[in-house]
This record gives sequence, C-alpha cells and structure tokens, in this order.
Amino acid sequence: MKTPPEDHDLIRWLDDEMTAAERTAFEARLAADPVLKAEAEEMRQISLSVRSHLPKEMPVPHPDFFNSQIQVRIEQMELEDRRASARPAAAGSIFSSLWMRLLAPVAAIAMVAVGWMTLRTSTASGSVVVSVYAPDPKVQATAVENVDAQATVLLLEGLEAMPADQNVAGLTVHHAETDSQLATTTLYDGAGQVLLVMGKDARNQPLIFSHGSPRG
Amino acid sequence: MRSKAPATLALLLAALNCVALPVGAQTSVQAPTAPPITATGKLAATDGKVWGALVYAVADKSKLTGATEKAPDLIPDLAERLAKAFPFTDFEILGQHTQDVFREYESWVVPSPELFLKVDSKGPADGGGLNLHLQFWRQQKVLVKTDTILRTGSPLFIRGPKWRDGQLIFILALKSVGGK
Repeated sequence: MKTPPEDHDLIRWLDDEMTAAERTAFEARLAADPVLKAEAEEMRQISLSVRSHLPKEMPVPHPDFFNSQIQVRIEQMELEDRRASARPAAAGSIFSSLWMRLLAPVAAIAMVAVGWMTLRTSTASGSVVVSVYAPDPKVQATAVENVDAQATVLLLEGLEAMPADQNVAGLTVHHAETDSQLATTTLYDGAGQVLLVMGKDARNQPLIFSHGSPRG
Repeated sequence: MRSKAPATLALLLAALNCVALPVGAQTSVQAPTAPPITATGKLAATDGKVWGALVYAVADKSKLTGATEKAPDLIPDLAERLAKAFPFTDFEILGQHTQDVFREYESWVVPSPELFLKVDSKGPADGGGLNLHLQFWRQQKVLVKTDTILRTGSPLFIRGPKWRDGQLIFILALKSVGGK
C-alpha cells in the first residue's frame, strides 16, 4: 500500500512538477516497485483519456450563464462542506484523497470547457438544480438545498411585486388534454369543465384563454 | 372561468396564432408544443407525472385569502417544510395541477394563470428522478429558466413575487416516474 508521501510524489510526477533529480529518483522507485509502477501507469492513462475527450469549445447558453453557474457551484460546495464536516472520515480516505487531488486539474479543465453544465452531485438523493438563469438582469436567481425542509429552494431576488389589487386566481386542474394540430393544451376541472386553454403565440409566448378571451 | 366550448376556444387560439405572423416567420419560430402524437405519428412517451401548486405565504394568519385547497399526500408536512424554508408561518394553496410530463414535448403546469411552469423532460436521471428543463412564467414574462433533476420526496420550492402581505411560492414535486 502506498503511503501519503508516495501519493504526493505520484501526483507531482503525473503533473510534471518534479525537478530532474526528483524525477530520476522517483522513476527509479517505479522501476523497483511493479505495483506502484502499474498504478502510476493506470492513472496516467485515465488522466490522458479524460483530457482527450473534453471538448475544446462549448457554446455559452446565455450571457449570464457563467455568473449564475458560479453562484450555484458556490452554494453546492458550501453544502458539501457542511455535509463533510458532519460525517466521520471514511475508511480509505487517503486513497479517495489521492484520486480527488489527481483528478482536480482534469475536473477544473472540464468545468471550464463545459461551463459548469455538469454540476450534479452523484451523492445527492434529493432534487438538484443543475443550472439557473434569469433573463431579467434585475432578477438574481439562487438555488440552495434546504436540508431541514428536505427541499431545493430557488430564490428569485428582485422580482416586481404583484399589485395588491390584482386577483391571483388559483385553479384546481384535474387533467389536461393536448391537441397536436392546434398546438393547444386544454385544462379541465374534476367535473370535466374547461378551466382554460393554453397555447403559444407566434413569438413562442404563452397565450391563455379563459372566459373566452386571451390573457397575457 | 367555466366554458363548455373548448373546441371553440382552441380554434380561436389557433386562428389568432396563425394570423400573428406570415407563414414563413411563423414556422421559423414555432417550437414543438405538447401534442400526444409525435412527428412520426406515435404517441408521445410519458416520462412521469408532476404536481405543481401555487402557495400564498404570510406571517399573520388573518391575512390569508381563505382558499381551501388541500395538499395531497405527496409531500407530508408541507406547511412545516415550507416554514423551514421561508420566514412565514401560515400557508395556503391557491391552486394545484397534476400533469403528465411528455418526452420531447413541453407540458404546462398551471395552478394559476398568473404564475405557471413550462416543463420539458430530458428523460430519467441517474440515481432516480427526471431531468427537467423548467421555465417559470408570470403571464407572458419568463422569470427564470433552470435545468433541474427532480426526485420524489424532494420538492422544488420557487420563491415568487411578493403579493399583498406575503409571498407567492410555487411548488413542483415529482409524483411518479415512467408511463401511466
């Protein structure tokens, strides 16, 4: 089994951070230790493979994409830190640490290349907001996981308040039917009565018909 | 709010849609909508079912509107969970809507004509749940767009605009994964 100093040397060797003398000495150790040599070669191949499969360019989905994703990532890292501090260290953590440190540069490259589009955490058992974007620059969208509420919360700051005299009508929709030719969705209540008809205008904006007249 | 002529409404909507732009422009901007039949003539697959609700939250019970909608068993202790996420003590459901989510086609979750969601499924997620693209609309203005993995037992709470003495909150929860 490798010791932590060997882990450190292996990472530095893989990252080409050793001096010439250190590299010569480490490669002599590799030659004398077939197990260490095999593991070093395996890690080097994985690292090269991951790098070679990363796209060089990806289109940015919208102008504020990076800012919004950085904010999401910060929230996720804070949550992961809180979780990590709340649970005891697992057996084999030295090995896990090695892999995390080894793959960190690769992960960083991947994050930049794809614009943090793959933020989902494999350990998450709850819902996860992968990306979020508010088109209105006055609106700031932030996603947080609320462990106490067992929910993911999407906070929208800067929204204009609903006028107090506006009636916010609620519907109890029992079922909906879509019409492929008319491109409409009709919503029904439990008695089979039409609540409203939903469609889109030529600009792809939603159109709602209720009381026989369009809204929006 | 009630009508017995859905076909008339649908035709009116379609007619309005068709005259809004010349044919060429119209076809260039129209995205696929939510038909149950795909372009290949097959029925659109159902990836799952979601429940959406619009909730009014206040810190003073006397400010509630008196809405009597009941939450389904889908989210136990909904009010308690909302109280842990938002600085309010009293909550009422203004409207709710359970909706099938189609693959490749958009679905609408409309517990209120004022605030509603457009849902596009990207299929099942690793580890359970659904990959969804969501658009949160306030009438004709989209407030936020998000890619979200929605899992059962873990609702998404969207803090919407302030209204009167409280806050409007949109809830989206995954009811089931897979077809009917």
